[in-house]
Amino acid sequence: MASSSSSGLTFKLHPLVIVNISDHYTRVKSQLNLPPSLTSTSSAATSNNNNNNSNGGENNQQKPPRVYGCVIGVQRGRTVEIFNSFELIYDPSTRSLDRSFLEKKQELYKKVFPHFYVLGWYSTGSDAQESDMHFHKALMDINESPLYVLLNPAINPAQKDLPVTIYESELHVIDGVPQLIFVRSSYTIETVEAERISVDHVAHLKPSGGSAATQLAAQLTGIHSAIKMLNSRIRVVHQYLVGMQKGDIPCESSLLRQVSSLLRRLPAIESEKFQDDFLMEYNDTLLITYLAMFTNCSSTMNELVDKFNTAYDRHSRRGGRTAFI
Amino acid sequence: MDSAIAQKTWELENNILAVEAPDPSSDFIFYYDEVAQAMSLKAKPWANDPHFFKRVKISALALLKMVIHARSGGTIEVMGLMIGKTDGDAIIVMDAFALPVEGTETRVNAQADAYEYMVDYSQTNKQAGRLENVVGWYHSHPGYGCWLSGIDVSTQMLNQQFQEPFLAVVIDPTRTVSSGKVYIGAFRTYPEGYKPTDDPISEYQTIPLNKIEDFGVHCKQYYALNISYFKSSLDCHLLDLLWNKYWVNTLSSSPLLGNGDYVAGQLSDLAEKLEQAENHLTHSRIGPLGTSRKKVIKDILFNSVRQSK
Repeated sequence: MASSSSSGLTFKLHPLVIVNISDHYTRVKSQLNLPPSLTSTSSAATSNNNNNNSNGGENNQQKPPRVYGCVIGVQRGRTVEIFNSFELIYDPSTRSLDRSFLEKKQELYKKVFPHFYVLGWYSTGSDAQESDMHFHKALMDINESPLYVLLNPAINPAQKDLPVTIYESELHVIDGVPQLIFVRSSYTIETVEAERISVDHVAHLKPSGGSAATQLAAQLTGIHSAIKMLNSRIRVVHQYLVGMQKGDIPCESSLLRQVSSLLRRLPAIESEKFQDDFLMEYNDTLLITYLAMFTNCSSTMNELVDKFNTAYDRHSRRGGRTAFI
Repeated sequence: MDSAIAQKTWELENNILAVEAPDPSSDFIFYYDEVAQAMSLKAKPWANDPHFFKRVKISALALLKMVIHARSGGTIEVMGLMIGKTDGDAIIVMDAFALPVEGTETRVNAQADAYEYMVDYSQTNKQAGRLENVVGWYHSHPGYGCWLSGIDVSTQMLNQQFQEPFLAVVIDPTRTVSSGKVYIGAFRTYPEGYKPTDDPISEYQTIPLNKIEDFGVHCKQYYALNISYFKSSLDCHLLDLLWNKYWVNTLSSSPLLGNGDYVAGQLSDLAEKLEQAENHLTHSRIGPLGTSRKKVIKDILFNSVRQSK
């Protein structure tokens, strides 16, 4: 029931939401499947808002629990930007959503992030299901067209794509009956600078302390891998075009148009004003680096003078120079 | 693929010891053991040893939330609370949330306004099944480094009296963005009158001239804890995949453009410090320079050297 969306909205997803959902899922999962070293009595007492748990024991082969929550963000015109998320209490057996909890949480989040409002909801699983429609409809009174963000928690090492899909609901006429069905939409990942740095930091576990050399090395490695990625992508496009020229691959004009428009955009900026500004910034940076090296030099010199004075101090030792032991 | 090779080579070269390996048993850290927590809360091993907690483990989610919140405040200090648990001599921070108060450091009563929010949030959390408790607070020092100011020290001392175990975390979002590495520090204060037996060696950081007095007066009253990060196996997987999407941003974002005025501010601060150093020199006797004089010059110079690195 997932076809491609036609609503024309562009979605931007922040990595925080993804990490949030994953954290929620991991917590609920680990609260269930405790390591065999702990007893089962504590697990029975602590298995809480878990939805699919019927046997609270040491059973490690349970079906992974589904977690539910709400996503918040802003919608500006045709762009929907999802910034944050929080958990919700939902019982799939009775299909009841805890309203008061939702409202309370909304209030709390409004105080800290006054611009954000409820955009939709999230859940974990491998595919959108029929039962999800109930939840979706329940949220429709808060937001007329909520989003459904689905995260697939199965770790598949062969996967190259993010296992996150965004669904919208559309009214389709099926067998003469207008029904709401889920349609998949595409999205892009949007990061603020600070977000990118902290995601980078945690993703590659850079040392937070450490000398300046390792810091620089870590940062350069990041940029190096980014450039490598760019290089490999350009190679792919190049090979594709060569293949098309030789005739191995059928010509696709829309793709060709895109490539040509991309190439026509290079060089990006050519005006004189740009050159002026660019050279000014460049000179400023060089000046600051020069100043840094200068002070480094003068401090090294100072140390050298200190050491010389200590080694060849005429006042504290008798006679002239003595060997510095 | 290339990024994986690059990461492995770098890790090898830098002897990364405590790498949180993404195997299922490491997700154990997410499990909240109520019985053990209740026992340790009763035993209170931190009551006798002011230096008890030595390490902090911050989850990926908490770090992300704190840095984003700190950055969103711009040049205004923001604060929030952290929830988690203790584990021997380590405090584990699982999550963080922002508090709806902003202000300057002189607003000590920010805590009073935030209590209601905190109670509400904790209640809703417990309802949703999050069993952890509040273990600390974080706030931001935009542009002037990670350390505790006088007000912060007194707030933290109060917290450590009544809300143990409690941790103070400071984040500098401006320096984070301009240098590309996360500037964060975790601290605990010593109780009144306690003298640390050994001089703690802290990482040198530059402090702007107008704050340096506040820093100097209180810097011996607290100690820094080691910070390490952890993430779940699913987080690992997702973050690796995320890298495939935002590598473009790594190349396209330029710290020069984003932080122009911060750099300018730092340079003017540097100029002031150099002027002060010069005045110090000219006003004093220009005879054989004693070691103390040399130290002053060296300190001021070192300040500026580290800053520009």
